[in-house]
Amino acid sequence: MRRATDASLPTFGTMSSKASESKMSSSQYSYIFKYIIVGDMGVGKSCLLHQFTEQKFTADCPHTIGVEFGTRIIEVSGKKIKLQIWDTAGQERFRAVTRSYYRGAAGALMVYDITRRSSYNHLSSWLSDTRNLTNPGTVIYLIGNKLDMESNRDVSYEEAKQFADENGLMFLEASAKTGEYVEDAFLKTAQIIYECIQDGRLDLNAADSGVQQKILQCETNPNVEKDKSCMQC
Amino acid sequence: MDVEDVLSDVVSMEDLKKFEKEYHNQLTTGTVSQETKFHYAWCLVRSNYPADIRKGLILLEQLIKHEANDDDAKRNYLYYLALGNSRIKEYSTALQFIKAFLHMQPENMQAQNLLVTIQKKMESDAHKGMAVAGALALGLSAIVGIGFALSKNLKK
Repeated sequence: MRRATDASLPTFGTMSSKASESKMSSSQYSYIFKYIIVGDMGVGKSCLLHQFTEQKFTADCPHTIGVEFGTRIIEVSGKKIKLQIWDTAGQERFRAVTRSYYRGAAGALMVYDITRRSSYNHLSSWLSDTRNLTNPGTVIYLIGNKLDMESNRDVSYEEAKQFADENGLMFLEASAKTGEYVEDAFLKTAQIIYECIQDGRLDLNAADSGVQQKILQCETNPNVEKDKSCMQC
Repeated sequence: MDVEDVLSDVVSMEDLKKFEKEYHNQLTTGTVSQETKFHYAWCLVRSNYPADIRKGLILLEQLIKHEANDDDAKRNYLYYLALGNSRIKEYSTALQFIKAFLHMQPENMQAQNLLVTIQKKMESDAHKGMAVAGALALGLSAIVGIGFALSKNLKK
């Protein structure tokens, strides 16, 4: 079985421990990237978020109510970046309102369950929502979750890889349970966004770019209204 | 865009208007579906205006009292009742709702996180209150002090 990340594991710096993360004040990062996590109910979106932000896994995670929120500060090319992650509920009853969270996302993690074909079959609907409601520059990462349940696999790596290639998506398989490749999904997305900023493909001045750059002024002058002075997007 | 927690998430005017319109359309035709009412309430409790939040809380209370037909729905309403109440600083009411939720489903991490967020908010508001009270006391004692000094001067 081939996996997206077998060849070379990327070398991203992350804050090594929870303690060091909590010590960082809100002004100690250069950028904020907004992410959304979308996909069918029960594919493990919240479990991926918890694994990434808290290194925890809860089996039989209850359904998300509306949206859940998580943050973590990471490091890409020596720059500290705060990831602001909106984990949307997969249940249909929430979908009308969760759609409004797509707006202004710099990264979208689109999740399916490798052991449940129906969750894979619904990807085109999730993809069209994501494309319609985000910017052309939004980085979409396809994640096949539950890699730990290989014996129950219902969707092959090759098939999903082909879907990803045809639609211009990044792709990997991961396990929220074991934590395998979870970091990669979140960090690779950040790296691509960062590269887009560096080479000018992502316009920070565009509305809803999903990226906010922190400007020194905000940290030194508390009288300046934060949103107006900081928001470059 | 810098959101710290679920309590600082604010609905866009565009969304609020969209779901309000849907709700009012159904009102005029007769019956409002549970879903439409919930969507509108969910937007209202994330408004910047306390009057909107209170309206959302009324709708959620109607939903939980008369329309919730399963535990799942009940928990959804409890969650947003807790969220809305804490956004208008009705912390003790908010705690009651989130504790009622956790009574139904103690292991729910999302509800546990909201409980912690509410408790943190209460604490920081209490500190702010104490700081204001402290500043007032300081100001008052300065005035009394000046008055005292002046009266002494006058006596001389």
